[in-house]
Amino acid sequence: MNYDPDKVWPSGLTIGEAEELHRHIIDGTRVFGFIAIVAHILAYVYTPWFG
Amino acid sequence: MNRFSRKAMQSWASLGPRFLPFADVATDDLPLSRLLRLSLFQVSVGMALVLLVGTLNRVMIVELTVPASLVGVMIALPIVFAPFRALIGFRSDVHSSALGWRRVPFIWRGTMLQFGGLAIMPFALLVLGGQGHANSAPVWIGYLGAATAFLLVGAGLHMVQTVGLALATDLAPVEDQPKVVGLMYVMLLAGMIFSALVFGLALENFSPGRLVQVIQASAVATVVLNVLALWKMEARHSRPGAVRGEARAETPEFAASWEKLINGGQAKRRLMVVGLGTLGFGMADVLLEPYGGQVLALSVADTTKLTAILAFGSLLGFAWASRVLGRGFDPLMMAGYGALVGVPGFLAICLAAPLGWPFLFVGGTALIGFGAGLFGHGTLTATMQLAPREQIGLALGTWGAVQATTAGVGIAFGSMMRDIILALPIGSWFGAATPYISVYALEILFLLAALAVIAPLLRGRATPGLSAS
Repeated sequence: MNYDPDKVWPSGLTIGEAEELHRHIIDGTRVFGFIAIVAHILAYVYTPWFG
Repeated sequence: MNRFSRKAMQSWASLGPRFLPFADVATDDLPLSRLLRLSLFQVSVGMALVLLVGTLNRVMIVELTVPASLVGVMIALPIVFAPFRALIGFRSDVHSSALGWRRVPFIWRGTMLQFGGLAIMPFALLVLGGQGHANSAPVWIGYLGAATAFLLVGAGLHMVQTVGLALATDLAPVEDQPKVVGLMYVMLLAGMIFSALVFGLALENFSPGRLVQVIQASAVATVVLNVLALWKMEARHSRPGAVRGEARAETPEFAASWEKLINGGQAKRRLMVVGLGTLGFGMADVLLEPYGGQVLALSVADTTKLTAILAFGSLLGFAWASRVLGRGFDPLMMAGYGALVGVPGFLAICLAAPLGWPFLFVGGTALIGFGAGLFGHGTLTATMQLAPREQIGLALGTWGAVQATTAGVGIAFGSMMRDIILALPIGSWFGAATPYISVYALEILFLLAALAVIAPLLRGRATPGLSAS
């Protein structure tokens, strides 16, 4: 494997690549958080728990 | 760092790219196995389409007793996103990524949206139908929930299909593109047929719990299929003329790219052909079965077979078009033949009612399927082959925007026109067939208009060969 000075170990990614992956993970968490909230509200309306 | 973790780290690094979703080298040849794997995204799109337009349509009306007009509005919602396909395609063309990917991030985002929409869909539908405790809740919760679910699925599937087709165009060498288009269409159709059968079987004994299972299973299937399709598919840093790891100094504006695309190579005229032809073929889609049932008095089992015959005709069309276009035949000419075949098909269907020949109807249906197959294949192949290398996403997005919008509008307009003519005093001039025949006549007009628009494009290159590209 040829040596790339921009790469940061242990991940072997450059800073830019790592930041991009991080952004995808944060975006994914936000989207799924929103989806989960909506799903819980709808499920509660359909069959309320602790009711 | 202790000895153990250093060892673990080394073994992690030496695993290398084998277990990572990157294709490091762009290969020139595209083996069939890889192509088949890529086309799995079309299966997930087909599944979502069947779920929206077919299965849930019926479930909402019959099992959940939602008013038909409300169901119609919900199902029409995803079309709102169809025009944005051009924008999505453009964004994927100019996407600057440190990882060197252009298409993968968009397909992944589309997959997430489709998954999210399907995940909340069953609860939204149950609330919309006033099941369980939902009948004591405010009505708008059901409306909002169902609209959100349908919009998410629609946005997701348009995104996945647009960028997926752009990726396929990136990967395939020009001479293979007809083969790729054929495969993409066949897989879309196969995904639709297969998932329609599976959904039908799974929902036979309907219960709310079963609905949740089926729709959420399709959400998981979406993610699995799309990840399989994407894995190691796009080469990194494959942008034409890109500098490795650096974003370009300036990204082109959408408006400027749009101008360039639309004014080059008679693109406007080709898009008009796509729109007119899709309208021509698409308006009758939902009218074939009621026409067979109400006018020709065919049984339900027979009219279901009609849809199968239509699909079979399309399959034949895709196969034949792939074969002929693969030898270098002009794809626009093929699209013209498709429209030309459609005209006698609709004529045969019109004449079936006054002559009382169901056989004519079946034959006409098969011809329409065949013509639609040739037409769809021809226009998509032409779009792929004429797309400038750095504008593939935009070109395919525009094609998809026109195609999906006119298909949706056509279906809605076809059934609306039937209902309106039925209510008018002229509604029974030619017996029960009047509203249907007027829709079919309009479709013939649209096909003839498409032929008129396409004719100047073909002039001067009637012989096989792709001199224009």
